[in-house]
Amino acid sequence: MKERVPTVFVVDDDEAVRSSLRLLLKSVGLTAVAYPSAQAFLAAYSPEQPGCLILDVRMPGMSGLELQHQLNARGAVIPVIFITGHGDVPMAVEAMQHGAFDFVQKPFRDQELLERIHGALAKDRETREQLRQTDSIRQRFATLTPREREVLTLMVRGKANKVMAGDLDVSQRTVEIHRARVMEKMEARSLAHLVRMALDAQLDKESAAT
Amino acid sequence: MLSHPGKAELSPTRKGNDPATELQALLDAAADGIVIIDHRGHIETFNRAAERLFGYEQGELVGRNVNVLMTDDDREAHDGYLARYHRTGVPHIIGVGREVTARRRDGTTFPISLSVGRIGRADPPRFVGFLHDMTLRQQALIAAERERDWTRAAQERLTQVSRLATLGEMIAGIAHELNQPLAAITTYAQGSQHLLDLEPPDINEVQDALGEIASQALRAAEVIRRLRRLARGQETRRESCDLNEVIRELETLIETEARLHDVRITFDLTPEPLEIYADRVQVQQVLLNLLRNATEALASETTDRRDVTIRTRLLTDGHIEATVCDNGPGVDPKIADRMFDPFRTTKASSTGLGLSVSRTIIEAHGGKLEYVPDRPRGASFRIRLPSAEGAAG
Repeated sequence: MKERVPTVFVVDDDEAVRSSLRLLLKSVGLTAVAYPSAQAFLAAYSPEQPGCLILDVRMPGMSGLELQHQLNARGAVIPVIFITGHGDVPMAVEAMQHGAFDFVQKPFRDQELLERIHGALAKDRETREQLRQTDSIRQRFATLTPREREVLTLMVRGKANKVMAGDLDVSQRTVEIHRARVMEKMEARSLAHLVRMALDAQLDKESAAT
Repeated sequence: MLSHPGKAELSPTRKGNDPATELQALLDAAADGIVIIDHRGHIETFNRAAERLFGYEQGELVGRNVNVLMTDDDREAHDGYLARYHRTGVPHIIGVGREVTARRRDGTTFPISLSVGRIGRADPPRFVGFLHDMTLRQQALIAAERERDWTRAAQERLTQVSRLATLGEMIAGIAHELNQPLAAITTYAQGSQHLLDLEPPDINEVQDALGEIASQALRAAEVIRRLRRLARGQETRRESCDLNEVIRELETLIETEARLHDVRITFDLTPEPLEIYADRVQVQQVLLNLLRNATEALASETTDRRDVTIRTRLLTDGHIEATVCDNGPGVDPKIADRMFDPFRTTKASSTGLGLSVSRTIIEAHGGKLEYVPDRPRGASFRIRLPSAEGAAG
């Protein structure tokens, strides 16, 4: 799979602010793409694209906060840095409550903004890495038979083999075989590792869904 | 000296009275001063009201030239008028009456209304003058004028205060409008520093950025220039100006406001200029008020499209019309007839002077400001002003 270059997206309705940001980002070697409205960004945005979003809080049409809600609703993970005017502190607070990465007041110092952008890009990398891992755990979980999933659930709950055998109405020997299969298919190094994978990928919900 | 008979002696039923006493009684009962002079200007009779007005007694004046009752300017001329009338029969004041300044015994002066008539066919002629004290009337006139001046000054102050209050309410939007170019300038400058640090430095990009910096600085200056025009002192100055241009000058300020409320403003202006004779700042104040009201009326609406239109046109009767329409809820009929009253407001942060001052301004320009409800929804405020030719002429 081709590694995508992280991109800094800029959404601001003010042409001058937009183009000056593009120049600043380009001058420090960042890839930047700017959009004049929230709608234009949403139409072009693909959630697989790594990067971060610099978003003006106040815009006609869809405001920055509304765009944030839309992205949250779509489960997008892109970190959002809001740019606000002097009087927009309440809006900034609301944005942070809804999971914004950070906000900067304009006019901003370049170092301040660039540090936040690098922070946001690191956060995005981390989130995407976690997502990749979760995906892989779920893929492995999908290869388990229904009986093996039952055993995994009981293992994660800390049941002893003897208890499991009683619960499942099978021999202890059979339980041991299922256990070994689960550990192997899930690529778990230890029971602790299996428990953490189950928690990270929320496998209890996964098994309830299947 | 003749005695001054009392009222009882005036009774026409009384018999055998002397005509001279009767005449004196009539003269003395008059509320106005009455002075009779001979053809040389010498005083023959000086009634009681005249005594009160001038501070002389009749006895002191009989036989003296009437010009002692006049100011220096009139004194010289009076003998001339008499002589000329005597010679040519051409009257100067007789039968006309006029306001002149009279002089009291103590040298102080006061305004009187003077009418003069010639007595019968007396030859040489004799004249009677009626003198009505105008002091009170003049004081009343001065007081009325002072009050008018005061009212005008108060009106201008109120207009100014209301304008500044409006600007105060708009301060957040204006700050935003200034902050945008400042943010762009800062960012262009910082980007340019990075570009110059590159090996080799990207001179072309920096040159473009410098051009942008200059134009953004001008953008900020333009906001300030318009603001200053609106915040200008209270002297009013009317001039011939194009209403369309007056409206276009407001574009930046009102669009900032519109952006905040997610409202779209359409300028539907006639292609040809519409000349009015007006104080442009005051007219802008009115338009700004109406546009802000329309924008705010839409703010709480959930409609997809929030539209405000400002339209101008030339009416067939030569008047010029500007209409501000919105597609908001319209004005509650319960308050529609009172909304032009001062301090009538439904907004927490408003002085409630906007519409009242707006109407006063438009009426002072010989125009009309009216509310027209739109169906099925929306509100229109219509301004009609005389065209420059009509207003100046």
